[in-house]
Amino acid sequence: MTLATQTGKLPVERRGGFSKKLSGILEPYLYVSPALVLIIAVMLMPLILGLSYAFRDIRILNPFSGGFVGMAHFQTLISDQAFLGALANTAWWTFGSLVFQFGLGLILALLLNRAFLGRGLIQALVFLPWAVPTFLSGLNWAWMFNPVVGPLPHWMTSLGLMAEPYNILSDPDLAMWGPIIANIWFGIPFFAITMLAALQSIPKELYEAASIDGATTRQQFVSITLPFLAPTIAITLMLRTIWIANFADLIVVMTKGGPADSTQIVASYIFTQAFRRLDFGYASAIAAVLLVLLLAYALSVIALRRAMTHSDN
Amino acid sequence: MASIEIANARKSYGAVDVLHGIDLNISDGEFIVLVGPSGCGKSTLLRMIAGLEDITSGDISIAGNVVNDLQPKDRDIAMVFQSYALYPHMSVAENMSYALTLRKTAKEKIADAITNVADILGLSALLERRPKALSGGQRQRVAMGRAIVRKPQAFLFDEPLSNLDARLREQMRTEIRKLHRRLGATSVYVTHDQIEAMTMADRIVAMHDGIIQQVGSPVEIYDHPANIFVASFIGSPAMNFLEGTYETKDDNGSDGAGICLSDGSLVPVLHAQGATTHQAATLGARPEHITIVSDANSGLAARVDLIEPMGLSTLVHATLADKPIKIFTMDRPDYAVDSTIHVSFDMEKVHVFDTKSELRLPPITEPHPSHRD
Ligand SMILES: Nc1ncnc2c1ncn2[C@@H]1O[C@H](COP(=O)(O)OP(=O)(O)OP(=O)(O)O)[C@@H](O)[C@H]1O
Ligand SMILES: [Mg+2]
Repeated sequence: MTLATQTGKLPVERRGGFSKKLSGILEPYLYVSPALVLIIAVMLMPLILGLSYAFRDIRILNPFSGGFVGMAHFQTLISDQAFLGALANTAWWTFGSLVFQFGLGLILALLLNRAFLGRGLIQALVFLPWAVPTFLSGLNWAWMFNPVVGPLPHWMTSLGLMAEPYNILSDPDLAMWGPIIANIWFGIPFFAITMLAALQSIPKELYEAASIDGATTRQQFVSITLPFLAPTIAITLMLRTIWIANFADLIVVMTKGGPADSTQIVASYIFTQAFRRLDFGYASAIAAVLLVLLLAYALSVIALRRAMTHSDN
Repeated sequence: MASIEIANARKSYGAVDVLHGIDLNISDGEFIVLVGPSGCGKSTLLRMIAGLEDITSGDISIAGNVVNDLQPKDRDIAMVFQSYALYPHMSVAENMSYALTLRKTAKEKIADAITNVADILGLSALLERRPKALSGGQRQRVAMGRAIVRKPQAFLFDEPLSNLDARLREQMRTEIRKLHRRLGATSVYVTHDQIEAMTMADRIVAMHDGIIQQVGSPVEIYDHPANIFVASFIGSPAMNFLEGTYETKDDNGSDGAGICLSDGSLVPVLHAQGATTHQAATLGARPEHITIVSDANSGLAARVDLIEPMGLSTLVHATLADKPIKIFTMDRPDYAVDSTIHVSFDMEKVHVFDTKSELRLPPITEPHPSHRD
């Protein structure tokens, strides 16, 4: 360390001169400049450009649009019933999907963590839903819920859950469950695989020591497994929350936000505004609000976690 | 405290037999050391006693009760793992009290037990720390403490010192022995370090390839090894082995036996039980039972290969009858490499092994092992 700084300083002192000094200061920045340029070009510029649309009137079909409108979009937004409904739907969609994805994923991981015949094959199969394009899985699930071509309504009728076979995707009270179920199916592998990886990193001897100490399987789960999984659980739950909240593909494919906006989430509402009504300005304003909400969520989770780990040590 | 009886215990993993019929009686309060090379099945046997591994056939009893089908927690034993297996999310105190808490022991009782054990092991200042904030030696102590707090019937140790440096290992060795004297608990201690075995054991159980080779006190195992494996495994520097034939002088049977080495030189030995003349035999001589003599007529010629000073003593590496041998001496010899020295073997101390069966053929003057105690 000291050697490096010394050799770095020496030529500057020896040669002196303003331009030499300046190039010495600039040198490290020049080295990172390609990366900086790239980041600014592909990440920062689009973000700023997109945000700037939120303050402009940009409607593709109106050649006279493009002017600066200030906070007008945001004022409209506050009283936009469709947007407020979409906000509530987003919460439902996100946490409905997340709870089941996580719960079932964890159970699956615990099952896969035991030795049994054909474990390798099952592990590979579990990953499959993740590999199917979302567009395809959305179509598939939409068909499955359709009584004309799909089996699900008939099964539910036989089980007595439904009076007669009909499509829940066309029932405003139940439609949200369609994409949620598809999303649960789609998201379980993510949790199963990450939890399994975390489980497999727990040393076996800890369980052996605990079984000698007299801990039952449940007590071992609480005092060994859970503390080991906690960091992974925290980070994956946070990532998935943001991911699912932004994830409109299944909804757009299965219900297009309908019927009567009953499955419209903020992300699909942005899609509708931008690509159906072709109002890019308003869509950008909604996107900006969603960005702020998710950022606030992420920051509060990180703060919470930091507080917890600090009180831990 | 309890005795442990192991009767014809076997273990196989599928078609692989790991333990072939182990018989061992460990008496109450005894400190037994299982020793043997890597992969000989020591850990497997220990884990079978602990209940972490099924018993393929045979019986294991603790305090007279067969425990084959008992869960580890119902066997009332404690185990110290090589990796220590401390619970990383619990403090030192919580680690040590975990078993007591699970048994719903009264809080004051737990606190008393922890204070007491922490005192014994010098952990009092560390009770609130997490394992990751401890040194290797301290973790080792916590693992010991966790075992002691419960006052189990027996302690099982699986190479508990192998992650420590040499000095600390030596120190912990004596501490574990002192602790054993203080608690008097039956202990089974697994190691592949023969020095640990020699210094700590009441009785050593030498294992090889899933078979017990010999059971005996350290001195007995050292002085009267049952076969070539035990003789070579116990003792450092290791015993020298020289192959040859067993010869007797026909005219005078009482004092004329020897091993004829490959170069024709004869090393006199005591008459061996069950040995037949001309049979293939191996001479076993510990480095300290070979002396360098100045008189060329009373010794065999050997060529010096290397002088290894070890502080207290010196180890001379030499070649005798084309075989490398090591000679232990308290002198400070300064032979040149490749110079010739003369060595003589202590006739009373060297061993004769049957080369084929590898068993030791004890001298006729030695009582049969089963009559000795
Ligand atoms: N689960 C298993 N399946 C198959 N073979 C096993 C299994 N566990 C252990 N073995 C085999 O059993 C034999 C004994 O293993 P064990 O762990 O008891 O050896 P060890 O004497 O403790 O050796 P070390 O000194 O290296 O710890 C080894 O040959 C090992 O390969
Ligand atoms: Mg082992």
